Amino acid sequence: MRVQDARIKVALIGCGAVARLYYMPALRVLEAAGLVEVVALLDPEASHAALLREAFPQARTLRQLSELPRGAFDLAIVASPHSLHAMQTIYLLEAGASVLCEKPMATLAEDARAMMRAAAVGRGLLAIGLVRRFFPATRMIRHVLEARALGEITSFEFSEGSATFDWPAASRDYFSKREAQGGVLMDIGAHALDLLQWWLGKSEIVDYADDAMGGIEANCLIRCRLDCGATGALRFSRDCALANRYTVHGTRGWLSWQAGQVDRFDLGFADSSQVIQAGFRKQAASNFEQSFLSQLRNVIAALRGTEELLVPAAEGIAGVELIENCYRQRSLMALPWLDDREFARGRELNGGKSAGAADR
Amino acid sequence: MTHRVALLGAGGFIGSRIVEIFHLGGLADVRPVARSIRALARLSRFDLDWRVADARDEEALCTALAGCETVIHAISGDPATIRDSVTPVYRAAREAGVRRLVYLSSASVHGQAPLPGTDEESPLSRRQPIEYNNAKVWAERRLLSLRAHGPVELVILRPGIVTGPRSIWQTRFAAELLAGTAYWLDDGRGICNSLYVDNLVHAIHLALTAPGIDGKAFLLGDAETVTWADLYRPIAQALGFDSIQLPNVDHVPPRRNVRELASAFESSRPGRAIASLIPKRVRRGIRAAMTPVPPADATPWAIPAAPASPLPSATLEMSLLYRCAWKLPDARARQLLGYRSVVSFAEGSRRTIGWLEFAGFPTIQEKNRSR
Repeated sequence: MRVQDARIKVALIGCGAVARLYYMPALRVLEAAGLVEVVALLDPEASHAALLREAFPQARTLRQLSELPRGAFDLAIVASPHSLHAMQTIYLLEAGASVLCEKPMATLAEDARAMMRAAAVGRGLLAIGLVRRFFPATRMIRHVLEARALGEITSFEFSEGSATFDWPAASRDYFSKREAQGGVLMDIGAHALDLLQWWLGKSEIVDYADDAMGGIEANCLIRCRLDCGATGALRFSRDCALANRYTVHGTRGWLSWQAGQVDRFDLGFADSSQVIQAGFRKQAASNFEQSFLSQLRNVIAALRGTEELLVPAAEGIAGVELIENCYRQRSLMALPWLDDREFARGRELNGGKSAGAADR
Repeated sequence: MTHRVALLGAGGFIGSRIVEIFHLGGLADVRPVARSIRALARLSRFDLDWRVADARDEEALCTALAGCETVIHAISGDPATIRDSVTPVYRAAREAGVRRLVYLSSASVHGQAPLPGTDEESPLSRRQPIEYNNAKVWAERRLLSLRAHGPVELVILRPGIVTGPRSIWQTRFAAELLAGTAYWLDDGRGICNSLYVDNLVHAIHLALTAPGIDGKAFLLGDAETVTWADLYRPIAQALGFDSIQLPNVDHVPPRRNVRELASAFESSRPGRAIASLIPKRVRRGIRAAMTPVPPADATPWAIPAAPASPLPSATLEMSLLYRCAWKLPDARARQLLGYRSVVSFAEGSRRTIGWLEFAGFPTIQEKNRSR
């Protein structure tokens, strides 16, 4: 779909924390630049949409998708709870709009494939919101790895977590199993598994464990194997302060990215104890906000036909498949502070494959 | 499992373990109450009827406590939070028809280094050098006064140094060891009055239903007499350190410096009222002015020396704690609650080290495993 109008008409679907913190300021800037016009704000909780309406007084506030007039918008941004991503995206694509769907693209691979099919037959584009791909650091890491600067990849460790959860979720649904469909894996894991495959190629889940005991996981541990045979571990937490490092080791050296760091990473070589702190000169996206804007500008440019989408749906689906494989292989993590009876009950509630006593 | 108990402060270190033990152990139908949506991150591991209510919001609390037989007040926080939360909690419990409130106070109402012979009957002071202690004393007195005129029974628990997974005492020490800033005072010979978190939860469970304890306070501790060296040695060993090599630092005189006095004033009611009149920028400036400024490098021509590790300095609180020479008695808890420690100190240390490994600390065992 080509949108030639001066301003792309945008409907924001879901007015929770991500909409308030990131989409609202970004869309205001893009509106001021004459690139977009926010025409609709949709959220079942009227107060959430009303908050954003202060920034976009011309926009209509709506509570459900059926209230959206067809043809009144070019791009819908789906920033609603995970469990609604697929249904809403398909509805919007079938209505002829283009969609930027926040990560995770869907909670099930089958749903993600249905979204792809809807995009293939519809007039609109389907982009996935994976903002970390727009960080100069992550892009450069991809180049470094593509150039095989580290030699053969031998192992990797990704960890990300904080002892205090600081995302200002607007609704309890964020922690509801029914609405969120997952915890830290669906959240941080969606970013990390995407980067893993984007940087290092196809990978398979060897083992997955988390600490969900009837609810959603606050901690998880994934062991993966790359096509090249290298293995690694990914550990995420909403409960513990982890190293927050994504490290890749090769036969010639290593690189390490501080999770969330937009414009630098560390690089070292096997026979040297020195560490290079790689930064960038004059980057367009020198901070998170600029990276977020880059993502939206790429979608706008793609709608105008002047750029390729950098994260089309086909790129988002791989991460969804990995997450689904993780949950399929679920077991209860070793929780060594629980007594035997508590652990046994926790394992029942986890609902995953049974773990032996050695797993404690 | 018919006893429905509301847990205030459910997202914290002690609250998390209460939820695990009560829910997984089938001890009670626990309703976790968290102060904010984001505090649900850890609680949402379980499919429970969790609620969100700020402990200073009586109306929200009233809704959250409805239908609960008992309430556990396990809210941690600064002195202002300690003071501001007790009245709304008691009143909401009364409105909700709660039978008993179990309040987690602290052994530090007796000071960090209580005099030999101290027990629950020892007089409490609100003129202690640590503001936290004064706030806890104030909270206990306020609750007893509310109980004197209200129907909700009150039980006060005074745990010592609560240890275990996520305990700030052990996590901070592990982090300081790794950062090279850990220290001893008197080689860690002071008594730590430790209480493994599972033992505290056991006492809480007993306190919810034990008869004839209304209005009473209970000191709680592990069965063993544990020194600070005993507490920290296993952690140091697990991380590959020889704890004997830690530097000994000097005690801090038990008087507050300007910064601590300012902080105490700021957390008091009049202090907060006055602070609210001062622009934020000015307050930040005052705080910055009270923060010591590191000396500037003298010359760029100096021969690089090995990174200097300045001797750490003890906080007033740690300085007092390390001086403790009295194992607080738990005889009353044994007699009236039927309390006994259900996890030994050694087993508690083992489980805590297991948690440190879980939380990504580089224990020797984990390093060996990843080799």
